[in-house]
Amino acid sequence: MNIELESSQKGNGAVTLTIKGEIDMSSSSKVRAHLTDLFKGNQSAIVVDLSDVSYIDSSGIATLVEGLQWSHTSNKKFRLTGLAPMVKDVFEIARLLTVFEVYDSQEEALKGV
Amino acid sequence: MTETVKLTIPSDPKYLCLGRKVLHHLLSTHDVPEDMTQRLILCVDEACSNIIKYSYANCPDLPIEISFSLDEYRFEVKILDYGKQCDSRTIKPRPLKKIEPGGLGTYFINEIMDEVHYCTQREKGTLLTMCKNLKNEVTSSKTN
Repeated sequence: MNIELESSQKGNGAVTLTIKGEIDMSSSSKVRAHLTDLFKGNQSAIVVDLSDVSYIDSSGIATLVEGLQWSHTSNKKFRLTGLAPMVKDVFEIARLLTVFEVYDSQEEALKGV
Repeated sequence: MTETVKLTIPSDPKYLCLGRKVLHHLLSTHDVPEDMTQRLILCVDEACSNIIKYSYANCPDLPIEISFSLDEYRFEVKILDYGKQCDSRTIKPRPLKKIEPGGLGTYFINEIMDEVHYCTQREKGTLLTMCKNLKNEVTSSKTN
């Protein structure tokens, strides 16, 4: 299963990471590597756009939890946007929906970063 | 009448999507709502991922045998591996209070499925059986 990752610098010191595809055991390491690079940069905020992610498993959730932990240690904002119903449901089952900063759109997520 | 679909995938993570696709097709032809379909797919996927990681220690060319059965409202999946056995009493989900990466797969399985049984009373490997009663989901889907 292919996964596409694309990061885009925003003018306000933020960077968006758009993920397309399914995040499972075969692809979560790519997401993790990408996030690792982004946290090494000097952006003040990282917004992960999951609008085109149709499936996520526990390895994908674990990767995003790692991102959240990195955001705490690096003092960067870490926000999620565009959770499809399946993805949102997995976050809810794991009781993580309120742990992350979740927004409906990139525009909203980029406000006030 | 019980409908059964069997498939065997290699223990390579790149083939996990095959199990997901087959199960999605099976459940969608039986009017199982999409949200429940996705939850059942998640359980099967997590179980296969655990086999790859723990039973087969990431060796990518060993068999994972999956059998899906649907008998009116009862969904049953059996997943067989031939890898390292473990004491099923030690397979427990971690508490969710602590926010940390990892350890959620078993939690998802136990939270979503009605019955989960690990059988290691065999020469090699483990047979995992998971069941879900879909009566409420399917009947409400048909009346809507």
